[in-house]
Amino acid sequence: MKTMIWNPEALHHLARGLIVWGFALLVVRLTFSGDILLYIAPHLVIYAEIAAGGLLILGGFQLYFAVRSFAGRAPACACGHDHEGHSHEMPATPMRVTGLYGLFVLPLALCLMLPSAAFAGTIADSKGMNLGASTAFNNGKEDAELIELEGDESPELRAMFRSRAYDRDFAKLGMLLYQQDMIEMKEDWFLEKLETINKFLDPFQGKSIEITGFVYRQDGLADGLIIVGRMAMTHCIADIAPYGMIVDAPQAAGLKDDQWVTVKGTIGRQSLGDREVMKVLAESVTEAKPAAVPYVYPDRSFASKL
Amino acid sequence: MNATTAADRRTAASRSNLAALIGLACIAGLYFVTAESPGRLLHDAKLQLFKTLFVGILLEALPFILIGVLIAALLHVFVTDEMIRRFIPRHPVLGILTAAVLGIVFPICECGMVPAIRNLIRKGMPTYVASTFILVGPILNPIVFWSTLMAFRSRPEIAYTRMGLAFAIALIVGLIVYRGYRGDPLRQRGPSVAAHDHRGHAHDHHTSPAHGGHGRRAIRSMIAGKTKDVMGHAANEFFDMGKYLLIGAALVGLLQTFVSNAMLVKLGQGELGSNVLMMGLGFVLSLCSTSDAFVAQSFAATFSAGSLVAFMVFGPMMNLKGLIMMLAVFKTKFVVLLAACVTVLVLAGSWILPYIALK
Repeated sequence: MKTMIWNPEALHHLARGLIVWGFALLVVRLTFSGDILLYIAPHLVIYAEIAAGGLLILGGFQLYFAVRSFAGRAPACACGHDHEGHSHEMPATPMRVTGLYGLFVLPLALCLMLPSAAFAGTIADSKGMNLGASTAFNNGKEDAELIELEGDESPELRAMFRSRAYDRDFAKLGMLLYQQDMIEMKEDWFLEKLETINKFLDPFQGKSIEITGFVYRQDGLADGLIIVGRMAMTHCIADIAPYGMIVDAPQAAGLKDDQWVTVKGTIGRQSLGDREVMKVLAESVTEAKPAAVPYVYPDRSFASKL
Repeated sequence: MNATTAADRRTAASRSNLAALIGLACIAGLYFVTAESPGRLLHDAKLQLFKTLFVGILLEALPFILIGVLIAALLHVFVTDEMIRRFIPRHPVLGILTAAVLGIVFPICECGMVPAIRNLIRKGMPTYVASTFILVGPILNPIVFWSTLMAFRSRPEIAYTRMGLAFAIALIVGLIVYRGYRGDPLRQRGPSVAAHDHRGHAHDHHTSPAHGGHGRRAIRSMIAGKTKDVMGHAANEFFDMGKYLLIGAALVGLLQTFVSNAMLVKLGQGELGSNVLMMGLGFVLSLCSTSDAFVAQSFAATFSAGSLVAFMVFGPMMNLKGLIMMLAVFKTKFVVLLAACVTVLVLAGSWILPYIALK
């Protein structure tokens, strides 16, 4: 019986080896072109690379088994004879073979046919724009804990950034931002800065700010108000979520959706239902080049880098 | 014995047919649209989005499924039934607690969990212990705790509640399965397993005493043999589980392409409605348990803390991608029992929690 089946089995090993190597090469290709950042977050790239290494080894063994099988030697995994009823039985009929391997080839084929693409404004609609989740602090609150920052911040500054214990990190960042002449909303800490400003709305009123992102329009916002946002990615493209700030610009009507702009202006406030969020009163709106990797990433340990 | 083999083969055949059908449908669909107008297809935003989601989920899951597959293969080749039986306490509650602790020590998400758990059950891990392990593993571990805590910096009670609820639910489900589920939860436990183990022993006997004179060579050839065994089985598992991961990722990709969160969110608000809705969202999105906290946080403005916890407990335990992988391994009856218990318990838990812990 074994002599009858050695050849299809060799073909199976060959197909498996090639598919596994295909996935490894996909990771390698995406890593070298940098496009991998359009699929997964930077801190996961190293895992994908290790996985590619693992796949190369795994596929190598399959190809080795294939060669041995072609040469007519006994299958390397000596379980060839008890494959019947085995859970990982190799598919038998041509249709099943096509189906199984076709399924594995599908993502590889898609990657070969379609270039990698970045998503920004186009899917903000389906995800729902976030304009800051937290509610601003009431700074008059007596029970708020005063943050002691080492260094020479004035007592007035510290009083402005009273916060609950858990928000100490944002208060720290807030004091840092407050002392800057211009708050720049770029890739670094985009989400953390957005959260900070929304948490401490009062002290930031009238501060200068610059933000680069895509233009997004939301139902229910008045004419002249647009949102400039960025996509945040935690792990992979499946978990991206748009974050942005409302921009009050006279030229808003002339801006296209998804267009990338740089807005310079000052911070104001906008009521949104029963809460208040920050708003940028635009002084200038200029066209900007879309970022090659349009995503921003939450930095969970940002406080330790302050 | 022949009858079971035939039945096993039939179920395997029908599921492979399903996989084949989906694969063919995708290819046919691609061909159809390509034939229509190749240029437009390649620039179609929906296809582009689907492909990016599909490949992104695969790239994210790849390292973890490889770890799972490798663990499964190592278990298969090296761990005996005896070792499993000795390791797990006989007392059901102790057994379930052991599983919970195991989940903390081995932080693998459901992609890696399913292949590993199948081998553990085959090796004699009791079903109720396995049920607890599979539910607790993706949530109750340091990485997930830390990422939840960081996502909800200002509300640490959400992270504690998530861990607590997951632990409680896993314990209860373990007990329910202990009391209420008899029989083998696995789809196939063919006669091959026994034959396989037997063969493994034969292999050992054959290598060690036969070459008594050349001890080192015997060891080296045994290591080579074991390595090939592990690699062979890992590849088998990879294709076996990978198939379901691919189908799961494709479905999640399709859903996310054509059904928007915003549409879902509009479906329902209200006290229990939002909990159900967030659970549904967790099911559909099929996110990794280490990244879902951040997504949950993006809903914090519109949804109650209870429903966010429901999202973060239900999603990792029951989601589209995981369910398809589970159905590949477990009998439908068992998966339905598990899903029903988890659904009811998460809903109940997330409804009660706001009154006791999430003020």
